[in-house]
Amino acid sequence: MPTLVSYIIVSAALLGIGIYGLSVKRNAIRILFAVELIVNAANLNFIAFARFMNPPRVSGQVIVFYSIAAAAMEAAVGLALILVAFRLNSSIDVRKLNKLKG
Amino acid sequence: MDLSVPPDITFVVLTTITLLAAIMALQAKELIYGAISLAISFIGIAGFFVSLDAPYLGMLQIAVYVGAVVVLILFTIMLVRREEPDKDESPETGEGAAGLWLAGLLAVSIAGIAALAGPNLPATPPEANLPISQLGPVLAGTYPVPLIIMALLLSGALLGALVLAKVDK
Repeated sequence: MPTLVSYIIVSAALLGIGIYGLSVKRNAIRILFAVELIVNAANLNFIAFARFMNPPRVSGQVIVFYSIAAAAMEAAVGLALILVAFRLNSSIDVRKLNKLKG
Repeated sequence: MDLSVPPDITFVVLTTITLLAAIMALQAKELIYGAISLAISFIGIAGFFVSLDAPYLGMLQIAVYVGAVVVLILFTIMLVRREEPDKDESPETGEGAAGLWLAGLLAVSIAGIAALAGPNLPATPPEANLPISQLGPVLAGTYPVPLIIMALLLSGALLGALVLAKVDK
């Protein structure tokens, strides 16, 4: 069985990939991909810590249950926002969404 | 757990699938292929959940992420797709390197802290595993209020998404 540290390292790598996408990508849908990856990295950490506790606690799984539900909502609202942005701007490049700029 | 396959091989395979698919999701030329890579990455995470004695959450992960979120993303990609591919997808010079530095620094520092704390963290999980039957009583008995708030939030978010995406006549 791998140690807890190896799970944390996998989770940190996933977080790094997500942060890279969040800061570099210009397409709004790809930014949503990056956000989902970051949420998944957090979920993986919760499950790993819940399993390695002595005695194992089921609360870690409960919070991931809520987190998955929250991520589903976030995807629905985010995609609706992307649709509105596309309708207003006919582009989903986030660098072109500068209507609020003075 | 299946003893014919050593768990370490399972871990290495799942790590490779998850991380490579995550990179592919961000770097794939076509957005559609990116979405499919994202689904593969989510399936890898579900595999991690199953190997960590959380089979219910693995199932939920596949049902919600692969079944709902990725399909929703695919529909949105079809709705917003242009005829010509996005020319401006590649980052400006210097921006990509800065993002890589930021992400690398963050990931390496978290992994470094975890490795430093390694001797204090448990190396092997306790023998007693989590029975799936414990999840229901804890979810509905110990934490009933968050469950209700989550239901309200879910309906609010879906209504909000509908109102946002509605076309005014």
